[in-house]
Amino acid sequence: MVELADRLNRLSLSASAAISALARELREQGKDVISLSSGEPDFDTPDHIKQAAWEAIQRGETKYTNTDGTRALKEAVRDKFRRENGLDFQLNEITVGNGAKQVLYNAMMATLNDGDEVVVAAPHWISYTDMVVGAGGRPVIVPCSQNAGFKLRAEDLEAALTPRTRWVMLNSPSNPSGAAYTRDELKELCEVLRQHPKVLLASDDIYEHILYDGLEFATPAQFDDEIKARTLTVNGVSKAYAMTGWRIGYAAGPRDLIKGMLVMQGQVTAGASSVGQAAATAALNGPQEIVRERRDAFQERRDTVVKMLNECPGVICHKPQGAFYVYPNIAGTLGKKAPSGKTIETDEDFVAELLRAESVAAVHGAAYNLSPYFRISYAASMDELVEACGRIRRFCESLN
Amino acid sequence: MTIVSKKMQRIPSSPTAAMSDRARALKEKGQDVIRLSSGESDFDVEEFVEQAAIDAIKAHKTRPSAVAGSPDVRKAVQLKFKRDNGLDYDLDEIIVSNGGKQILYSALFATVDPGDEVIIPAPYWVSYPHMVTLADGEPVFVACDHNANFKLRPEQLEEAITPKTKWMILNTPSNPSGAVYTKAELEGIAEVLRRHPHVWVMCDDIYEHLIYDGAEHHCLAAVAPDLKDRIVTMNGMSKGFAMSGWRVGFAGAPKELVKAMVRLHSHSAMSMNVVSQEATAAGLNGDQSFLKRNAEDFRKRRDIVVAALDRCPGIHCHKPDGAFYVYPNIAGCIGKTAPSGKPIETDEDFVRELLDTEGVAVVHGGAFGLSPYFRVSYASALPELEEACRRIERFCTALK
Repeated sequence: MVELADRLNRLSLSASAAISALARELREQGKDVISLSSGEPDFDTPDHIKQAAWEAIQRGETKYTNTDGTRALKEAVRDKFRRENGLDFQLNEITVGNGAKQVLYNAMMATLNDGDEVVVAAPHWISYTDMVVGAGGRPVIVPCSQNAGFKLRAEDLEAALTPRTRWVMLNSPSNPSGAAYTRDELKELCEVLRQHPKVLLASDDIYEHILYDGLEFATPAQFDDEIKARTLTVNGVSKAYAMTGWRIGYAAGPRDLIKGMLVMQGQVTAGASSVGQAAATAALNGPQEIVRERRDAFQERRDTVVKMLNECPGVICHKPQGAFYVYPNIAGTLGKKAPSGKTIETDEDFVAELLRAESVAAVHGAAYNLSPYFRISYAASMDELVEACGRIRRFCESLN
Repeated sequence: MTIVSKKMQRIPSSPTAAMSDRARALKEKGQDVIRLSSGESDFDVEEFVEQAAIDAIKAHKTRPSAVAGSPDVRKAVQLKFKRDNGLDYDLDEIIVSNGGKQILYSALFATVDPGDEVIIPAPYWVSYPHMVTLADGEPVFVACDHNANFKLRPEQLEEAITPKTKWMILNTPSNPSGAVYTKAELEGIAEVLRRHPHVWVMCDDIYEHLIYDGAEHHCLAAVAPDLKDRIVTMNGMSKGFAMSGWRVGFAGAPKELVKAMVRLHSHSAMSMNVVSQEATAAGLNGDQSFLKRNAEDFRKRRDIVVAALDRCPGIHCHKPDGAFYVYPNIAGCIGKTAPSGKPIETDEDFVRELLDTEGVAVVHGGAFGLSPYFRVSYASALPELEEACRRIERFCTALK
């Protein structure tokens, strides 16, 4: 009988993984399940990136790389930040890991002392709080409802800061809400932080390129050197280039932080896969048109999904400006009875009954610390999305 | 204000990396440096493995797998354990990860509470104590010198175990000593462990296939099946398969621990690169005959290196049965003066002076927890090894 460490017992199980597992089970029973629970683009990795990967294999680039990334990839990251964000970083201010997740994990492990606080705006990607807990820190959750566009407001941030605050985590565009901060909104948040010079800022920009309606992407490090000197700008190739399986994320930030993260990376896994790094280098250095084409395809899906969900009784779906998620409110369905006879008391009941009755897999809002909502990933084909939304509508209509 | 956490400040930067940096700096100054400091096989990856990876990329197999690894790769690991080690693991007792390092880190991080003790026979791989420290545990070192063939004796283990002992780490063949435990020796260890049911064992078998002179690799879990429910059998593709850059480790372990490690991975790095998983499945399922050929090649190098080093005045070099390292004792050099005029007081002085005067980079025994020794990696071409040994002999002869 294994005795787990206390820190592990404090970690949550991944809710989206649990839903995916249940969906798989139903599928194996022969049910026609549509899964809208996963956080990965349904596109393939572009051909020129794949080609770069197999050429790297053929060249024998299959030995240990530097722990924090090959020089070629770090240069590509440096050029990306300069080209797309107007940010200048030295190579020793850049680090590469096994996905943006590991980069953030390294940052938390490298900086948090026991009891240090990390401000996280909810709804949020669940791993943020689990990383903080795993590193001995304390997440401070600030709920940001639909009425606030799921965005952290300056006054809420101000109220959440204490002398123990070590980090503020921002994620724009956001998983799960799709909310994208404007430049001005980010600026206001940074103004608050100006009064708190010890607080670090993590900006998870992984959905940078999935941004709609002509909105311009902004990231805090762009504002001025003072903010930049305490901001970790995290990004990766998973979402922009449909490279989730390649597991490459990167970040840029102050040198001593990056150095601490390097030590951590060296203990947890050492460098990321050399082949994955070669592919990521090609992605960042190569043609970028495909990123825009795919964004346009996502925008069309978003419009369809939002429109169809808003036709469901009891559901109110906002229209987010980024990522590939919507986060509809289901307050209007609570207290009603599902076809199985079970009363919908929580958003978890809602998604469980939806899966049971209509074989549509989505993730409940509680998994992102803001209820009553659910998350739909529209990284699926338009046909599937239309069919799924039709089923959700039928399900909502059947509640009484 | 220092940005890094107290926990991180306890982790020194890697001494092997420091040696590499110093060697690189000398090289850049134009000095002819031979590096015998790295722990990486110099063989090429087998072509059939590379081809499988390229085929997978071309077949668009680039989606992320389950966190524990794809069913295909876990089946291949299952088969490997059965075929090579006589071990039966269910698929849910198998996990693949970003290098063997991640297995060790996650198993420890998932189970070690503050103050828990982990027994580490010295000399040891430099990362073990750091991982224990990161998990807030206490490393307990047991010195195993060349008179004991660098192996832990049962009575030493018995003496080191306390009520706070959570794990012991067993690494055979060993980095840095090359020591290989016989079946009888493992039985002796198992006998002690039977008396202490609270102690788990982390078996690091990463050098399994690098074994010479008819010595055999034995897994503790096979030697003592009654202890299998508290043993992690860790292995990977970096050494025997020379696939270091692919970052593949794997383990067989009790289901509950695998589940906990998956939970940690889902918040720290997710699954590993899928292309590497395909390459691993192909490697483990394919023709294994090259392993013996490569080992034969390593054996020749070992014989030459051991003979050459044993001739050096002040050095006594044992002949290990495995891995690609030797760990010569330099007690006879301590107290002498190097050509630079500096006294050799420690093995760190020895390797620094050796690098500066003769341009040979090795790692001092202090880094591995047992002095006065140094580690030579003979994963280099024979002419290079011969030249390096000549230089070491010249250096030792020049000591006064």
